[in-house]
Amino acid sequence: MKVLVIDINKCNGCYNCQVACKDEHVGNDWTPIAKPQPDTGQFWMKVTDVVQGSVPKVRVRYMHDICQHCDDAPCIPACKAGSIYKREDGIVVIDPEKCTGARQCIDACPYKVIYFNSDLNISQKCTMCAHLLDKGWKEPRCVDACPTGALTFGEEADLKDLIAKAEILHPEYKVKPRVYYIGLLNKYFIAGAVYDPEADECLEGAMVTLTNTKNKKKSTLKTDVFGDFWFERQEPGKYSLVIEKAGYLSRKVESIDAVKDLNLGDFELYKKVA
Amino acid sequence: MAQKGKIKSGEKTVIKGTCLSSFGDNSNVSCVDVKDNKIVRIRPLHYDWRYKPEEFNPWQYKARGKTFEPPLKSPLPPFGVAYKKRIYSPNRILYPLKRVDWDPKGERNPQNRGISKYVRISWDEALDIVAGEIKRVVKKYGPEGVLLQAEGHGESKVVNAAHGCPTYLMKLLGGYTQQVRNPDSWEGWYWGAKHVWGNEPVGLNMEFSSNLYNDVAHNTEMLICQGADPETTPWGFGGGCLPSLMCYWYSELGIKQVYICPDLNYGAAVHADKWIPILPNTDVALQLAVAYQWITNGTYDKAYVKTHVIGFDKFSDYVLGKEDGVPKTPKWAAAKCGVPSRIIKALAKEWAAKRTTVAHGYGGPYIRGPYSSEPARMEVCLLGMQGLGKPGVNQLTFVEGTMLGAYNRGRAGKGQAMGMLTPTSIIRPMVNAAYRGYIPFMWKQQSIIPKTILHDVIESGKYDIYGSSDQMDPVEDQFKHYVYPLPGKQEIHMLWTDTPCFTTCWNDGNAFHRAMRNPKIEFMLVQHPWLENDSIFADIILPSNTKFEENDIGADHWPVQYNCVYLEEKAIEPRGESMSDYEIVEAIADKLGLKEKYNEGKSIQDWIKVGFDGSQMEKSGLCTWKQLNEKKYYVVPTDPNWEKIPAGMIEFYQDPEKSPMSTPTGKLEFWSQRLAEHFPDDDERLPVPHWVEKSEFHDERISSDRAKQYSLLCISNHPRWRVHAQLDDVTWFHEIVTGKVRGSDGYLYEPVWLHPSDAAKRGIKNGDIVNLFNERGQVLGGAYITERIMPGVVYIDHGARYDPIVPGEIDRGGAINTICPHHTTSKNCAGMVTSGFLVEAKLADMNGLRRQYPEAFNRPYDKASGQTMERVLYKGEE
Repeated sequence: MKVLVIDINKCNGCYNCQVACKDEHVGNDWTPIAKPQPDTGQFWMKVTDVVQGSVPKVRVRYMHDICQHCDDAPCIPACKAGSIYKREDGIVVIDPEKCTGARQCIDACPYKVIYFNSDLNISQKCTMCAHLLDKGWKEPRCVDACPTGALTFGEEADLKDLIAKAEILHPEYKVKPRVYYIGLLNKYFIAGAVYDPEADECLEGAMVTLTNTKNKKKSTLKTDVFGDFWFERQEPGKYSLVIEKAGYLSRKVESIDAVKDLNLGDFELYKKVA
Repeated sequence: MAQKGKIKSGEKTVIKGTCLSSFGDNSNVSCVDVKDNKIVRIRPLHYDWRYKPEEFNPWQYKARGKTFEPPLKSPLPPFGVAYKKRIYSPNRILYPLKRVDWDPKGERNPQNRGISKYVRISWDEALDIVAGEIKRVVKKYGPEGVLLQAEGHGESKVVNAAHGCPTYLMKLLGGYTQQVRNPDSWEGWYWGAKHVWGNEPVGLNMEFSSNLYNDVAHNTEMLICQGADPETTPWGFGGGCLPSLMCYWYSELGIKQVYICPDLNYGAAVHADKWIPILPNTDVALQLAVAYQWITNGTYDKAYVKTHVIGFDKFSDYVLGKEDGVPKTPKWAAAKCGVPSRIIKALAKEWAAKRTTVAHGYGGPYIRGPYSSEPARMEVCLLGMQGLGKPGVNQLTFVEGTMLGAYNRGRAGKGQAMGMLTPTSIIRPMVNAAYRGYIPFMWKQQSIIPKTILHDVIESGKYDIYGSSDQMDPVEDQFKHYVYPLPGKQEIHMLWTDTPCFTTCWNDGNAFHRAMRNPKIEFMLVQHPWLENDSIFADIILPSNTKFEENDIGADHWPVQYNCVYLEEKAIEPRGESMSDYEIVEAIADKLGLKEKYNEGKSIQDWIKVGFDGSQMEKSGLCTWKQLNEKKYYVVPTDPNWEKIPAGMIEFYQDPEKSPMSTPTGKLEFWSQRLAEHFPDDDERLPVPHWVEKSEFHDERISSDRAKQYSLLCISNHPRWRVHAQLDDVTWFHEIVTGKVRGSDGYLYEPVWLHPSDAAKRGIKNGDIVNLFNERGQVLGGAYITERIMPGVVYIDHGARYDPIVPGEIDRGGAINTICPHHTTSKNCAGMVTSGFLVEAKLADMNGLRRQYPEAFNRPYDKASGQTMERVLYKGEE
């Protein structure tokens, strides 16, 4: 059975996947797998810019929303017309000829990846380009167009090692999705910089300790030549931070609330006087 | 008239290079699936589609215990994937058009250019008018009366060249006036860096770029991208997404990537280990302070400077303040460039301690602001202070690598044999023997007008300058004196363009419009596939088509993984009555009785064979004509000895006497004798690089009085979702958050990036329609409020399609080049200035604009793609 693995760490934001999907499905009729989607408004592969941090500690990562082709897909039983089915290869298809436009699937889908085509009066979504796979293609259009290897498609058995590094989106939905994510944007960086305002110098080699307030776990980093520290991929929650350097008065920061990626700002350290 | 060989029904796959640099140099090769004369999809070519990988000797990089395996498919950027939208664009010109109130036998009404509309005419009528006008202008004013714009970026076609076909016809009529293209992608390098290190033809390191990807992988510890976006610039040109892959691998290798730029550009967004925000066009201050730190602390390569550098003492005097009493300290610099002094110090410390390479696409706004000669040559000086050319210390050019260097070596008779940025192919496949367009390398007319002063020259009728600004001219040309008109010759009176985008891509588009309405211009002829930008000023518009409707030959020889030669068979029948640019000129030549002379007795198929023969594929025993016709493409194998080619500037580093640079002394000239001799009074470009605050020509610093009214510095990049002016109507890009901002009025505005602090001060929220303005005019845009831009700066890409509310004054489309500085780089440097200038941003008064200019808001508009053809088609109204 097929799986798709999306490695957000390798995604450069080129949007090739989103555009290639349009190239395949706008103006092309692939009945019985899919009818054309409208020129705009539907995103069977949807890329979103996620801006993290604040000047000058800013990054962009790109989230991908796509039909998860769930093994326990809620859209299938929700469809009263029985138009939705799961193939042997795991791909879930809305039969465009059987669909009556009742939209029960759209309401039922927890990932919100089904779209309504009001011209054709049918619901539509990603088909993993099943019409191409059936003709011998190895991958759907999005994966073929991805230049960085961020998208991988294939047999679940062959991709075991990759899947082991990944996680699923919203496991609490309990629908057994076939799409896996590496580098999912549910953990945050906590960053900052340390400097000596009297010497007007960045402070390299300061020791920064981050403590999770709930479970007391500690992480330690040393600041680099720019005085920067970046604690990567921290669980959401409350933290405290201590900055220490020999010869300097320490700094402590309480009540850091990591609900998103944080730039804590620039911290001044003052020399201890004799 | 359309090309022979009607498409049969059924399915087929053809090959097309989707590079949009033009000039017959291709890249980003794709497979196009066609069914029943309709393009179904465009997808990457897999090199191993019809060849086994062993046949083309696949390469790898191995460094620091890791291996880089290049993908076996072409790294298509989104432009290639979405290109169907351009072929079937609603803006395609499908038949000849004539401006309704332009009568070649009566009133020409030049004052209505850009305002009056168009009627459809037949090809016969159009060709008669065009041929008649050419004859008349040549007879009355001499052939120099015709100005050919002749080159620019666009589809890369060889026989059916997108730009410059008219040059072949005009040469048969005795000549023409050439619009000389300034080194638009290389301004600062050309006007500044060349005086330090030569590096012809454009002053960016191109000749000495062999194997630099590999050198960085092995030896570089810090990669600085200052005015570089490897995630964007390569897309439209060469290399596609390969630079992206290299940057990811460099991170894997532990090479620190530092981005110095006002915006968190798309490369910085995913690759930067450190972003140093800096105010637009203030890099020289930072660079001088870095030099100050090195000199003061002795942390530079003194031995190298002794043997490889001329004029260090004079340079050092300026840096230390001995020349002007102002030491260029980090504190001094911080006030100019917005980078805290402690960060400058840390950068200087790290740069001196670590093997550092500086990387570029072309340089972008870093070298396209006022006085751009200065940051460009400062960079070479800084590299020169740290042992430029030693392993790990070079200037890396992501996009072209050695490509122009190869042209230059050919011109200098040094032979083409040289490496590439990527492991070189056995032969660099070139099909330019069949190129029927024009590139600046080919020849230079006697009668010329630099593009950057075209508007002034039309209005004044003359110029008197130093340096033609021809981007391929050697540095000595900058000291040559040029006048216009040439003695005994007349001004131009006809403008013939196949690259109608001055408005939104060059300097002061509003001034260009005024010049187009000057009655001296009796005839303006446009040939183009799409009715956009300058096209709305034409008197006659001829429909050319896309490469997908033509047969041609192509060769990928930009630095992608593998170089190929391929037959570009026609995908679909020409749309409407369109023809290729080559065929259009051939038809005009026919009317003038010059058809056989123009096509040299060859059909397009004959020319394709000429191109193939010139590629040396068959002569070298690599690929026969028969094989190419069978397989449609050929992948040139990697040269097994690629690693032996010296990397970067290592030979100069090892022995500057034996391998000198092309400067007069052969060394890096921090002080230029020739500048001292030729321009002793030029305060904007002194013999050593300087910080220039303001001058007679430019006053765009935050210290300026003007900054009280126009308090933001504008940075304008090569666009993300266009290639210059092309692809602005692609609906799929409009749906991307950084593509367009849909205003509350439903219009698709060009995104204007503002920091939350600047937006809050001005009452601007995300999605609001904003007005960017200065004395030169107003441009509307859609606010994108983000942390991806530093405070004090507004960012808007160039190239948005012009949509005048008031022609020459207020633009709705976002064409920022209509209000960028009028003047050139500096007094003696006729380069363009399109970034680093003062503007103010405010909420647009849409109600006020609608009340004052109701017609401007009632034009036909498609909510997904933008302006429609209907706007310019005459319907019998008054």
